[in-house]
Amino acid sequence: MKLRKNVVLMIGVAMAVGLPMLLNCAKKEVGVTDNEIWVGTWSPQTGPAALWGSVARGIDCYFKMINDEGGIHGRKLKLLIRDDGYQPQRTVAAVKELVEKEGVFGFVGGVGTANGMAVKDYLHTSKIPVVALATGSKLFGDPPTRYLFALYPTYTTEASLLTRYAVDTLKSEKIAFFYQNDDYGKEGLKGAEDRLAKYNMELVAKVPVEIADTDLSSHALKLRESGADAVIMWLLPKQAAMILKEATKIDFKPQWLTSSTLSDVDVMYKITEGLWEGVIFDNWFELPNSDHPLMVKYRAANDKYAPKERWGAFFTAGFVFAEPFVEGLRRAGRNLTREKFVESIESIKNWDGGISHSVNFGPDLRQGTNSIFIGKCENGRAVRISDWMEMEQ
Amino acid sequence: MLAQLIVSGLAIGSCYALLALAMVIIYKTSEVLNFAQGEMAMVSTFIAFMLLESYHLPFALAFVLSLVFAFVLGVTLEFIFLRPAKQPTVLGLIVITLGFEMILYGVAGWKWGAEQKSLPFPIPDTSVYNINGVIISQLSVWTFIICLSLMIILFLFFKYTKLGIATKATQQNQIAARLMGIRTKRIFSLTWGLSSMIGAVSGLLLAPITTLDPNLMMDPLLKGFASAVLGGMTSLPGAALGGGILGVIENLFAWYLGEAGFVFKSVVAFAVIILVLCFRPSGLLARHYVKKV
Repeated sequence: MKLRKNVVLMIGVAMAVGLPMLLNCAKKEVGVTDNEIWVGTWSPQTGPAALWGSVARGIDCYFKMINDEGGIHGRKLKLLIRDDGYQPQRTVAAVKELVEKEGVFGFVGGVGTANGMAVKDYLHTSKIPVVALATGSKLFGDPPTRYLFALYPTYTTEASLLTRYAVDTLKSEKIAFFYQNDDYGKEGLKGAEDRLAKYNMELVAKVPVEIADTDLSSHALKLRESGADAVIMWLLPKQAAMILKEATKIDFKPQWLTSSTLSDVDVMYKITEGLWEGVIFDNWFELPNSDHPLMVKYRAANDKYAPKERWGAFFTAGFVFAEPFVEGLRRAGRNLTREKFVESIESIKNWDGGISHSVNFGPDLRQGTNSIFIGKCENGRAVRISDWMEMEQ
Repeated sequence: MLAQLIVSGLAIGSCYALLALAMVIIYKTSEVLNFAQGEMAMVSTFIAFMLLESYHLPFALAFVLSLVFAFVLGVTLEFIFLRPAKQPTVLGLIVITLGFEMILYGVAGWKWGAEQKSLPFPIPDTSVYNINGVIISQLSVWTFIICLSLMIILFLFFKYTKLGIATKATQQNQIAARLMGIRTKRIFSLTWGLSSMIGAVSGLLLAPITTLDPNLMMDPLLKGFASAVLGGMTSLPGAALGGGILGVIENLFAWYLGEAGFVFKSVVAFAVIILVLCFRPSGLLARHYVKKV
């Protein structure tokens, strides 16, 4: 009697341990099955930064398009989006859940500098590849780490090239810098200052703004007082709209220049009630209204898979972040492992198969792009006015 | 330049003052701080936006309808959320308003999305009057006038009308007021509605200066709160004065301290709260109210 009990118990234990192992055999790598690859991302779908939530939905739209074309080596891509409300502690919870409970293969296009920093070490020690975070902070690509690939040109690079354009092409002599007082703004500021130092020039004014500021009249006065003929802005859309209104009130009309984060001309033109006209910006991937063949294809995907989504800069950004990820999967082949995937991303050299310019990775290189172009708001529409400009190394 | 800084400060200060007025009205009757004040104003502003953009109503009508909505919203909050609270403490009621704030914020994000929008306003923020080199926008002039007249109207209302006096009585002693035949519960509903309406006015005036999105009132509310504390939580003229002073202090501080001044411009509001609480806890214009046991 006792023996029989023991046998039953042993069979039970064997089943409890053995069944999942058997099931696991079907999986080549965590998050990879015979016909699916599970990929995770985090973004603010709610809360103060929900505007950037469309990045994740852009990635999803891109994945659907790839899946309808047959997927990657016979596998469909499955995107698991987690909402973190732009709060780093929620990002940590979401990423741990995706890794430890859902078992995703890797991450693509997570939004936010602080959010990325919060999970950077965890993802590294768990050896999970992350391709293209949706931030231009320098904290991700340099120094290089094995599993983390940054795509977005750093804000410092962007500001540096934009300043070069202002001095060389616009012949600006007095440049002021108006920036959000955090890492995002300060990295931009550094780029502009370093660039001007090469011309033996200095900024005529550096004016910081806090996100909590509700009144920018004194900021506008300070900028006017500096006598700047060009003002570079490193801001969120709201503050940019406010400073343009305040400057117009006091009849201060410099050439405004700004970063890729404010390249959504449709939105900016609307919320500034037309004051955005003539503003120069930079961007590092094709404009939403570009006739680049891939952009035509992506617009069609937008209409087909996400007809309710506006074809704006952040939604498009989802596509550009997902491109090198998918290219890496293609190169890794059918026998996909994380290590193999990392090596195949490293093999991407001067790649122009996407809507950004010349993507470069390598064993010691984790900063994918270093190129921007200049655009301008003309008659309320974004117009490209320069060729690709690459950062000198 | 000094004149310009003061004028610009007063312009934004009027918006703070309106929010401060809205907070004071509720505080006067129930000693509750309404943390949903900003979000109620934001939602009402979105209602105006919706009426203008989707239903193409004329501005005046949309304005009035959104104020009506704001009134109903205020009354509803009081009726559905606050009134059923059993033996509520002031703190408990404040927490309820916090909850309501989160609900409204979530609803606005879900209904209207997070993208910035522009509220089509008949008085553009960018057309200005230039008086001897001091520039003030038409919108600011109107904000100033509206703020001042609302303050006066409310002041007269509380001082001279029967309803206003009943409100005061309710605040001072609820039981006695009830015994005198005042329907205190209705008074509460009324003040919440009234306060919500004034908040909505400030939202409608702030949206054209900034942009319309669910975060519209988040920071202005804190400034409004600071203004109310500065002026004295129970004084209507105090609230208006507090708003004006805060706006001017912010501007002068930023200007004369240079880069550091701009960094701490918004923090000044909190420094003001602390200073006031240390040296004159009842605020500039309110009489110190001591409850005898």
